[in-house]
Amino acid sequence: MRAVSTGRGREAPIQYGLALLTVVLVAAPLIPILYQAVIDRPLYDSGQQFTLNNFVELAGTGEFITVLINTFLFAIATTVIAQVLGTGAAVLIGRTDMPYARLIGEMFLWPIYVSALILSFGWYAMYGPSGYLTLLLSPVFEESPWDLYTLTGMAVMAGVSLAPVAFLYCTASAGIADPALEEAARVSGAGTMRTLVRITLPLLKPAIFYSAVLNFTVALELLSIPLVFGGPANIEVLSTFLLRNVIGVRQSGQGTVATAAVFLLVIVCVLVWLQARLLGNTRRYETLGGKATRPRPFALNALRIPAFLLACTYLLFAVMLPLGTLILRAFTSFLSPLVPVSEVLTFDNFTGLLAFDVAHRSIVNSFLISIIGGALATLLVASIAIVCHRSEFPFRKALQYIALFPRAVPGVVAGLGFFYALTMIPGIGGIRNTIWIMIIAFTMHLIPAGFGAVAPILLQISPDLDRAARVKGADWLTTSRRIVLPLMKPALVACYTILFIAFFKEYSTAMFLFAPGSEVIGTTQLNLWTGGEMGQAAALAAIQIAVIGTCVGVARTVFGVRLYG
Amino acid sequence: MAELILTNLLRRFGPVIAVNGISLTVADGEFVSLLGPSGCGKSTTLAAIAGLDRPDGGRIQLGPHTFYDSDSGLFVPPERRNCGLVFQSYALWPHMTVRQNVAFPLDLRKIKGAEAQRRIEEVLSLVEMVSFTDRYPHQLSGGQQQRVALARTLVYQPELLLLDEPLSNLDAKLRDRARAWLAELRHRLKLTTIYVTHDQIEALALSDRVVVMNGGNIAQIGTPQEIYEDPADPFVADFIGTMNFLKGEAEADAAGGATARMRLPDGGVVQARAHGPLRRGDRLTLALRPEQLRVGSEAAGAGGTSVSAKVVTSAYVGGAYQVAYATAGGTMRLDQPMPPDGEVTTLWVPDDGGILFRETT
Repeated sequence: MRAVSTGRGREAPIQYGLALLTVVLVAAPLIPILYQAVIDRPLYDSGQQFTLNNFVELAGTGEFITVLINTFLFAIATTVIAQVLGTGAAVLIGRTDMPYARLIGEMFLWPIYVSALILSFGWYAMYGPSGYLTLLLSPVFEESPWDLYTLTGMAVMAGVSLAPVAFLYCTASAGIADPALEEAARVSGAGTMRTLVRITLPLLKPAIFYSAVLNFTVALELLSIPLVFGGPANIEVLSTFLLRNVIGVRQSGQGTVATAAVFLLVIVCVLVWLQARLLGNTRRYETLGGKATRPRPFALNALRIPAFLLACTYLLFAVMLPLGTLILRAFTSFLSPLVPVSEVLTFDNFTGLLAFDVAHRSIVNSFLISIIGGALATLLVASIAIVCHRSEFPFRKALQYIALFPRAVPGVVAGLGFFYALTMIPGIGGIRNTIWIMIIAFTMHLIPAGFGAVAPILLQISPDLDRAARVKGADWLTTSRRIVLPLMKPALVACYTILFIAFFKEYSTAMFLFAPGSEVIGTTQLNLWTGGEMGQAAALAAIQIAVIGTCVGVARTVFGVRLYG
Repeated sequence: MAELILTNLLRRFGPVIAVNGISLTVADGEFVSLLGPSGCGKSTTLAAIAGLDRPDGGRIQLGPHTFYDSDSGLFVPPERRNCGLVFQSYALWPHMTVRQNVAFPLDLRKIKGAEAQRRIEEVLSLVEMVSFTDRYPHQLSGGQQQRVALARTLVYQPELLLLDEPLSNLDAKLRDRARAWLAELRHRLKLTTIYVTHDQIEALALSDRVVVMNGGNIAQIGTPQEIYEDPADPFVADFIGTMNFLKGEAEADAAGGATARMRLPDGGVVQARAHGPLRRGDRLTLALRPEQLRVGSEAAGAGGTSVSAKVVTSAYVGGAYQVAYATAGGTMRLDQPMPPDGEVTTLWVPDDGGILFRETT
């Protein structure tokens, strides 16, 4: 009996179709920007001439030079702060007998779940000019001892927000995972400090360096903190420069704006290439999690309690109090140490949000985008991953490269690119007023994030399992549907959760794109904030924190999926 | 009906030639083992037959169907070959129960309802796994998983059964039992079968014919007896069973198959059958099975030669002593029931036991 054939080669149209879709999705925002950068007038005008004038003009602007200097200073300071905090925490939490190390480690990760935007709101509510702690200390100090509206202030906030990345990479690296190396040093007579300085930290070097490049890249393109704090203080970085000049409707300037975007794109491309090189030199895939038994930790002895207090103080002042104050602010009409909280408690911020149709719509939109878009993106990412890793598709290597390319495309650049694309292609402008433009843009921007969740698990599934199905008469499509996809279920749950959260807090891509009908929580938050509606912005942030917290909790307890290590 | 013919099958991985243009015909219902050390090309050959790997040249035919032909560029995907393959890792789908695993190939062939039910029952009782139908693979032992993997393969009545080291993941005791069970099963099934293994005992015990592979080439094809008793070259001789080698040079010209004499470096002379024609002065290797040797001058008899030997090591291995003797032609190892009596003795080499190979340079 011959195997029942279910149509010969039906995988080809699917694989080529998927590859084409991916190419279109990734190229859609990039081509308009590259094109705009080399023509002499806006994309939508006729009679365009090719020119290199935009580059000359941009380089000649003193303003742009200042922007560049600011951007790099901000990114460098942010990276240094994030690496110091992250590495220190990794050693303390991962390698010492500090009490409650596990719990502190979990809490250290909190900033990674909420967006930098929310964390910066929290810092504002706590340390801003009229922040709770600033006011509390105003009788003591004549002038506030800190100022968030400076490059340093912004870098500290960004550093706290990015420290978990350094922490995760250091914790996962061999320096901490393999205790034998340290034990060997101790057996040969090295004391605690000497082992730490001579063995542990050098072993962490690749992890520190790799995550530094990663954080530097994120800091370069960060929009939220510079927008909230840099704007009022006239400190402009590349991302805010782009936003101001595009939204600021300077028609003649589109060429230079696009050129600036290309500039940012090129820098980030180089950095991402560097990341890939570094990762290639260490390990292809970091296995987060490590061994079941914790290695024998360093004894801190007398420093045990001081180290614990130090860690608690950091968590309290950098993460918990800002977020707590922000949530409290959402439930009060006014927050000041001079007025008892009980007198100002109210739900007005939330009822106000519901009454304000833009805010109301943006909440609904964010949910729809995350639920529907997250599902569609998960399906797309899973299909791409299966084709890349489990098919004989001739261009699978190229497909993977293209699918991962958005890593090198900053959110602001992607947003700008889709914005241009909409003006370029006639007749699709209407999509700007629907959630679909956000779903498309977010999906493009976040393919690599989803891919990172799916691919390692897919690689762990033995290829024999799909080979067995093939030999038993299933073609590629049936094998993928009946064998590979069901086995990927944990990966799909993780991917959907990660994408849901990422879609829910995404704003940098949306800032260029949103129009009446396609507002999301992030854009409304920023608008409320700039409009002085602190309470409602805090209420939106509280909703966001609640939703993300629920997602992380459910993913962990119900599905047993641990996000981010 | 289902005769498998490989013609000049070639497979390269970059500069490495994994399968070097081998040709092989397996008769309908024949059980053939591909035997060889790792890297000899046996698994690559199997993957090519199953369609999991695309060869670089040659032809693969099963009965009237051509699976692969480099001349016409024909390559039939694995799902259209109707071969059965049992993986070394069993590859049971972990998200399906035993029944679902076995039902899957039937489902693909649109066999449903009572007929599917009947076949599943039949094949599971054949492998003695009826009472485990609703278990998941991780709830089964290694031996049980192996049986389910076999049931899943047999249920759709493949024209060709391919077994990729199916016993290698079992522990030693279980492997013996599974081998006996497999030997019994094969007589009932009478399926054309290719069995890949690096274990010579499995190959000898189960096969109608054994194909010994070495470095991408077929070193010898023959019945288990032929392979064991008349190896084609020193590699096969060494790979199958335990073999001792003595080195020396030919004392006179001899025809292939004739008895020839080899002079040892200490001047002693032994006799054996020449594998091929020999010329006087050729450097020779005499391959001898340990069980053909006798220890001590009193054990010597007619029709043989004694060579002087010195005990090098002796180890008790349970029920016997494994002893290594140094002789002028090389070290000889053999098992004997008693420990060696003294350091120096003689080894008796029968005239009709060994085979003389000319050393290739």
